[in-house]
Amino acid sequence: MTSPDPRPDRSLPVPPAWERARRRLPSTIVVYVVLLAGALLTLAPFVLSLMTALKTTGQFASTPALSLPNPVTGDNFARLFAEHGFTSPIAVTAQVVAVVLVGQLFFSILAAFAFARLEFIGRDVVFWIYLATMMVPQVVTVIPLYVMFTEIGLRNTFWALILPFMFGSPYAVFLLREYFRGIPEDLVAAARIDGASTWQILWLIIVPLSRPIIATLTVITVVTHWNNFMWPLIITTGPDWQVITVATAALQGQYNANWTLVMAATTLAMAPLLILFAAFQRTIVNSISLTGFK
Amino acid sequence: MTRTRRSGSPSRSRDAPAAWLFLAPSLAGVTAFLVLPILVVIWLSLNKWDLLAPMTFVGVDNWIDVLTTPTLGHSMLITVTFVVMVIPMQTALGLLMALLLSRGLPGSGLLRVIYVIPWVCAPLALGVVWKWIFAPYGGALNAVLGGNVEWLSNPDLALPVVAAVSIWSQVGYVTLFFVAGLAGIPPQITEAAAIDGAGPWQSLWRVQLPLLGPTLFFVLVTGVISSFQAFDQIYALTPNGGPQGATDVIATRIYFQAFGGAFDIGRASVMAIVLFIVLIIVTVLQQRFFAKRVVYDLS
Repeated sequence: MTSPDPRPDRSLPVPPAWERARRRLPSTIVVYVVLLAGALLTLAPFVLSLMTALKTTGQFASTPALSLPNPVTGDNFARLFAEHGFTSPIAVTAQVVAVVLVGQLFFSILAAFAFARLEFIGRDVVFWIYLATMMVPQVVTVIPLYVMFTEIGLRNTFWALILPFMFGSPYAVFLLREYFRGIPEDLVAAARIDGASTWQILWLIIVPLSRPIIATLTVITVVTHWNNFMWPLIITTGPDWQVITVATAALQGQYNANWTLVMAATTLAMAPLLILFAAFQRTIVNSISLTGFK
Repeated sequence: MTRTRRSGSPSRSRDAPAAWLFLAPSLAGVTAFLVLPILVVIWLSLNKWDLLAPMTFVGVDNWIDVLTTPTLGHSMLITVTFVVMVIPMQTALGLLMALLLSRGLPGSGLLRVIYVIPWVCAPLALGVVWKWIFAPYGGALNAVLGGNVEWLSNPDLALPVVAAVSIWSQVGYVTLFFVAGLAGIPPQITEAAAIDGAGPWQSLWRVQLPLLGPTLFFVLVTGVISSFQAFDQIYALTPNGGPQGATDVIATRIYFQAFGGAFDIGRASVMAIVLFIVLIIVTVLQQRFFAKRVVYDLS
C-alpha cells in the first residue's frame, strides 16, 4: 500500500474533543436530512400510487392527486379481477417463476458441480463458452428465439415462457462454480473414502454447505422472472398466457386515463415481491452484495 | 485448484461420464437458447421477412440499408446520451448515499433496505407508476408544482425524464455495492490517513476511492451494459420511441422494428447484431481502462 502524502504544511491541527463533537452535530443533521430525503424520494411513488389505487374514479377526478383516499375503496382491485381477468396473469406468472426457479437451480447446480469438482476433457472450453454467453444481451436473442418458437409451434404457450430459462443460466452456473470451488477438497475426499457416490457428495455435502449462494440465486431468479417483460411480451398474444407485467402494460395501453385502475394493477404486480422483500429483507440485501464480488 | 487423488485412479476417465451427464441439460439449454440464436440472428439479418410471407434471401441488403439510413445512428446517439445521463449521476449518488450510510448513524440499516425497494419491483410496473406521476393532467408531479407540464410528450424533456426514472430505480442497488465496498476497506487505512492530516475530501479522493476500484469497476460495467439495453421502463413511459423519436433507444427500436407494426425481422436483426458488437467493444474498453487503474488487492 502506498501511504497518502502527509503534506504537513496543509494539515489542520487536531481540535480538542469537545470542539469536534460540537462541529460534528451540524454535519450529522445534514447527513440525516440527505438520507431521509433519499428515503422519502424512494418511497413516495409507492405510497402515491397505492393512494390512487384506493380512490374511486370520481374522487380521483375531483380531488388533488396528493389527497388521501376518502373513503378508501377496494373497487379498483375488485374490478381488475372481475372485469379484467387479473387472476390468470398472476397464476401464470407464479407458475412460470416456480418452474424456472426449480429447473434453474437444479440444472445449474449439476453443471456448476461438473465444472468445479469433476475433471473431464473439454471442461475449460465449455466453461469459456458459458462465460461468453453471459455477454449476450436479451434483446439480441429475442428475435431468433421468437422465430425458433414459432417454427416449432410453441408460440403463445406455457412452454415458450419457461423453456429458454429452466435449464439453468450461465450466470447461475458461474456463481455456483465459484462457491463450490471454495469448499475444502478434504471434505469431498473424506466422503469418497467413506464410499459416497458423486451424486451423494453433491447433494449431501456440497449443496448443504452452499446455502448462502443458493439463497442468493433464489432471490435473483424470483425477482428476475416475476418481473420479466420483454420475452413474454413478444412470445405471447391474447389473455391466455399473459404474465402480470404484460397484463399491466396492456391495461395501461387500453385505459390510459383511468389511473385509479392502472395504479391498482401496478400495485398488484409489485405487491408479492414487496411482501417477500419485507419478510426476507436481510437475506435479500445480503444476496445482492454477494453477487458483485468474485 | 489442487486436487489430491489416490494413486492409480484414472481421474479423467472416472469423472467424465458423470460430468457430461451432469452438464447435459444445462449445456443443451445454453446451446439451444443462447448459442443457436446467435447463428439464427445472423441468418435472419441476411433475409427479408415480415413474419408472414415466405422468407427471401437478400444477402447484405439489410446491412447496407441499416448502415446507410439514419435510424440506427439516431437510436445509437439517443442510447449513448441516455447512458451518459444515467451512469455518472447514478454512480455519484450511489457513492454519496453509501458514504453517508457508512457513518453508521442509527437507522442506517433500515435506510439501506428502503433504498433497495425499487430493485425488487418490475421495471415495467415502475415505469407505469412514473408515467402517472408525470401525467400532465391528474399526475402527482404537476399537482405538486401546480402546472400542466407535458413531461413525456415534450421532445426536449422526454429523454432526461426517462433517464431520471432510470436513475431513481437503480441508485439504491448501486448504493448497496458501495456500502459493501466501503465496509471492505480496513478502518486502519482511513485512520492512518486522518492521522497523517488528510481531510475528508483528501481521504475520499486519495484513499477510499482508489480502494473502491473493484466496486467502481463492477458498478460501472454492469450499469453501462444494462443501460445500453434499457427497455421495460422506456417502453412503459414513452411508447413508439417517444415524441419525435426523442427516446427511441436501441432496444425499443429493435423491438418496434421487429414486432411493433413494422415486422421487419431482417433489419431488426442487423440492429441487434450491431448492438451486440457495440456492447462487446464498450466492455473491452472499460476493462482496458480499469486494468491500469484498479487497485485489486488490499493485503
